[in-house]
Parts: sequence; C-alpha cells; structure tokens
Amino acid sequence: MTSTTTKDLNVAVIVKLEPDFSEGNVSYNADGTLNRAETKSILGPHSAIASNAAFYAKVKYGARVAVGTMGPPIAESALQQSQLLCDADELHLYSDRLFAGADTLATAEVLKAGVSKVEGDGKVDIVFSGHRASDGETGQTGPQTAWKLGYTFLGHVIDYNVDLQSRFVRAKRLISLQGFYDIIEEVEAPLPVFISIDPSYKAFFNTVSQRLAFEKYQKEARSRAENYKQFLKVLNTQQLGIDPKLVGLPGSPTIVYKVERIPKAKASRKSEVIDGANRDQLTRVAANMYEVLGGMVIK
Amino acid sequence: MMSKYQHLYVVIEHEDGMPVPVSLEMLGEARRLMDGFNKKYSSDEKVVAVVLGHNVRKLCEELIFYGADAVIYADNPELRYRRNLIDTKVISQIARSREVAAKFSDTSEFVKPRYMFFGADSIGRHLSSTVLAELESGLASDINKLVIEDLEIKHEHKTKGQAMKYEKTLEMYRPDFSGFLWTTILCLDNRNPAIEREYHPQACSIIPGVFAPIEPDTSRRGAIVDYVPEFDERDLKVRILDRKIVKSAVDFDSHKAVVSFGKGIKDSPEQNIKQVAELAKEIEAEVGISLPISKKPFPVSEGINSTYMIPDRVIGTSGRKVAPLLYIAVGISGAMQHIAGMKESGFIVAINPDENSPIKDECDIFIRGRMEDVIPLLLEQLRKQRPTIEVKK
Repeated sequence: MTSTTTKDLNVAVIVKLEPDFSEGNVSYNADGTLNRAETKSILGPHSAIASNAAFYAKVKYGARVAVGTMGPPIAESALQQSQLLCDADELHLYSDRLFAGADTLATAEVLKAGVSKVEGDGKVDIVFSGHRASDGETGQTGPQTAWKLGYTFLGHVIDYNVDLQSRFVRAKRLISLQGFYDIIEEVEAPLPVFISIDPSYKAFFNTVSQRLAFEKYQKEARSRAENYKQFLKVLNTQQLGIDPKLVGLPGSPTIVYKVERIPKAKASRKSEVIDGANRDQLTRVAANMYEVLGGMVIK
Repeated sequence: MMSKYQHLYVVIEHEDGMPVPVSLEMLGEARRLMDGFNKKYSSDEKVVAVVLGHNVRKLCEELIFYGADAVIYADNPELRYRRNLIDTKVISQIARSREVAAKFSDTSEFVKPRYMFFGADSIGRHLSSTVLAELESGLASDINKLVIEDLEIKHEHKTKGQAMKYEKTLEMYRPDFSGFLWTTILCLDNRNPAIEREYHPQACSIIPGVFAPIEPDTSRRGAIVDYVPEFDERDLKVRILDRKIVKSAVDFDSHKAVVSFGKGIKDSPEQNIKQVAELAKEIEAEVGISLPISKKPFPVSEGINSTYMIPDRVIGTSGRKVAPLLYIAVGISGAMQHIAGMKESGFIVAINPDENSPIKDECDIFIRGRMEDVIPLLLEQLRKQRPTIEVKK
C-alpha cells in the first residue's frame, strides 16, 4: 500500500447506540413500556447494516472509512462495534451537554458538522446511515443530515457500485408503494451522495481478490477494534465549529409535549373463550375456520 | 388581519396519476381539521394539494372532489417519477411562493404554509425530512391522530419556564415502538430573537391506513394552479435508469388467511416458529409478525431469521395493514400498533395463555393456552376436517 491518506474514495458512516431489544438484554416495565435503565445498549441493528455497506466500499474500492455518532461518552461503544464491522480508520464521538434534547433537525446539524471534520484527502464522497433507529424510529435524521451537507440523498438502497473514474454512484433502491406494488429502481448520481441502507441489504464479494481483501480487512478490523481508542476523536460544539443556537433544545423546532398511555380501545369484538386443551372445542374452532375460508381449494 | 402562515399543504403521492391511498386519507383528515379550524377561528384557510408529475391533470381534478380547496400542480416530464433532490427543491419553492398562494387566497402577508402533511412511507418519509430541513422547521413522523388547539406551554427552553400561549398549534400524536405509549409532538413558533428562524410549517408524516378519505363529491370546485418549476442542470444528473415492478416476497393480499406470531414464541423460538409455519401451510396462509419480532429479540437459525423475522412481515402501524378472511394471532398480546394492522380481518382467532391480554377484546375466538400445546391439537383437528374438494381437470 502506497499511502494511507490518499484514497480514491472516502466514506463515512453515521451510527447510533440503541437499546438492545434481544431477549435477556431488554427489560420492560409492568405496563409494557421499555425500561431504559435496565436495558442494555448496543450498536443499532440498522447501524450495523450501514457499517457493512461501508465495509463493502473498503473491500471493493479500498475506501477510507470514518464512523461518527452523537451521544454521551458511553456511545463510543457503538463506534467500537461499528469499527469491528467496517475496519474504520477514524472514529468520531460528537459529545456535548449542549446537544441534549435535540430533535432530528438539531441532530442533523451536529452530524453535518461532524462529517465535514473527517480527515483524509478532500471531502467525504459517500455517507451511509441505517434505515432508522430502533428506538426513535423516525428515519428522518439521515435525510436531514444529507440535505444540510448538500449531498444527494438516496434512500432504501439495497445495492450500490461506484465508478471511480466518472465519480458516479449507481444504486438499486427498493420502494414500496402502498396499495400498488414494490419497485426496484436503478438510479445514478454524481458523488457526493448520502445513502440510507435498506434492511434487506447484503454485501456480496464475488472475486478472489475481493475475498482476500475481505479477510485482510476483517483481520485488521479485529485488531483495530481492540485498540479503538487510538482511532477515537471526541468533539464538542466548539471543536465542531457549530453555532450553539442550532443544536440541542435551542436548535429543535419540535418538543415532546406529553407522553401518555394509549387508552385501551373499547372492545371491538366479543370473543368466545376456548380451552386450548379441549379437543371437542378445538374441533369446532377448526370447523369455524374452514367455514370462514369458504371454498378453499386443496391442491 | 392576514397571517404570515396560512393553509394546510398536503403533498400528494401517486403512480402515473393513480393516487397512493394515503394521499386521499391525508386529504380527508386535512378537510376535517380545516373545517373545524375555519369555524373556530372564523377564517377561510385552505386545504391545498401539492402535485408533482407529468400529464396528471385528471388526478388534480379528483383531488378537489376528495377535499382539496386548491391544487398546486407542477407538470414537467422531469417530475414523472420521484427523485428526492429535485422534488425537495420544487416543493420548497412552492411552499415559499406568495405568488402561487395568491391564486387561491389573500396572501399579502404570506410567508409559508401553516401546516404540511406527507405520507409516512418509502417516499414521503424521506421527502418530508429533506423539505423540512430546507424550510428549517419541525417535523414529526408516523402520526395517527391530529388536533388543533390553543395551548398554554411551559418549557425550559421555548418559554424559559414561563407559561406562554401558542395559538393554532397542531398536536401530533405518534405511537411509540412499544405500541403502548402515545407521544404528542408540537412544533412551536420560534420566539427567541437571537435565532433567525421561523418554525413554520408545522409538519408531519402520516401513517398509511389510519385516516378515512371523504366521500368524493364531484360537485366540489377549486382552483388548479399551475406551477412552472425551475431546475438546476446539475440536479438533473441524478437519473433514474430503470424501474422494475416486483412482487413482494411476502404476499398478504392474495392469501385468504394470515397467521401471525409475536413474543409468545419466546420459550422455544425456533421450534415455535416452525409450528406456526406448519399451521400456516395447513390453511394456505401467509405468515405475519408483530413489530417486536422484527427487532430479532430471540436467537434462531439463519434460515428462520431471514425468512420470518424481517420487516416485510410486520403487521401494524409500522408495517402492513391486512384484512384476510381469517386472521390467527399466535402469542401476540395485542398492542394498539398491531391491532391497527389487522382489525379489519373477517374472523380473528387468538392463541394466548393470558386472558388479560388486550387481544382478547379484538378477536372472535380466544383460545386460552400455550401455543406449544394448542397448535398441535389444532393442527390435528384441521387435518381431520380438511375439505376434500377435488379440482376437476
């Protein structure tokens, strides 16, 4: 390798530390709501897929990869987990008390500033984000960051390739049209672009040289993630050069006005209770089912 | 006195002139809200549909029948299919255009729309995000209830802890991921002179299938205002090369029955999912899941994982809405967000050990018991009674 700073392609990934919804790690209150204090945290599943998409750029194009997240100090564990997946060359934690209470617009302001602080030659060509966070679930932060960066936003991306000569990306997007059908759209756009990765994305490495590169970088990723602090930069409002009025509570147009339990709807049906161990009763249920299904044809 | 912020703009989605259902649903809710608004405030603010497309004037006329007072129509071959970059710019230009708003209202003071709606789907979720980033105002996602109120707000930053009045505020209700909590989001005017922003429009994306369209009334009349968009040459380098219609791997619509499972599989996830799949196969049903399952809370084999624990199968406000003849909910407690996706089903059977589960009030037959015990017995009965209809060739 001739140089570690000059790359034909610079990519960044935006990730989030989220509650771990897996059994044994998640805790719910008696009323069914999430018990945040007792629930462990993890790199969000969609952030992990975005990290895989960035790793694809590293294996296929030798891209330089940076990973960034906004959050309290504990969020650096998301960066470490992401580095393990994408062999990141640089990790950013955007952390400042002033960021607290941010809505998606104020979060995007921080992430935009963060992406512009990524090292390497020239600016970032592709930013990846996950589909949505599994706790907030708005799916707004990615596209809003893209817009503030002035990058073309491509959502629901299931596959992408880059032409390093023409500096164009070609991507396939999966779009669901409610009440119609799904569409696979192939689109091309000049770099830079912001790609939000669809949950169904999977990277494929076809050639022998790609598989060799894959193994090499995966090994490197493991040793880097063990020493992730060497790659970590923590940046606050001042270091990011952000106007404090545009982040946190002051930078958020929206507020959470109230949180309430969703009132239990009036019973919409009057159910008959059947004892699940009673064969005779189940005989009737089975008959009911076939009756409802009507002229079902058994092939 | 005219206001700087007027009207409710609804961004319409369509496929070559065929409206996506959520577009008509949003118009219906917009109509109801603004009728109430105009009565309460003795005003005449409009429901305005915003259409980007090519050769879809007939759609614009229909939108009037479905509740729009006016339609702003940007007709250009470049706008036939959705591209986030140019769409965002055109919609933002429209939102800021006093000249356009003047075609259907008195706009001497007009700066931006008061409210704005988008569909919470593949297109609208991202489009709403970029448009509101451009307009620098607030956006709430996945809304299923809307109220307009004058509110007294006390907020540590917005009002510095003092009680202040905010008129004509849109209360945007959003069910959270658990399905048990409702969060109300507000987008409040900026009253801090140090921040040079105006927090309008108050905007949200709306969950498909929640609101009802109004009965179309062909006697309704309204203005269709043509807007001639201007494009930046560079933006047109983003090009759609190909568009293929695909059938979703999960097909709820052509099945008469759906069998869904939820967290009740937890005692032996792998085995239980196989049982559910067997039950589904027996009655030729498609398999659905509740939202928590798509977060992959249980370790299962890769095959089961990639076949069943996927977002495409989620039924509810965060997924698909289904209405089969028969719906079987296995180990599903019945959070509102799931119920919203299946309550229109013809006949609903729940299998659940807990008689206090909300699902009991949403089904026709509640089979009390653990799925591990019930499904084998039920399968046995279904097999015994399997209709023996032969298809004659």
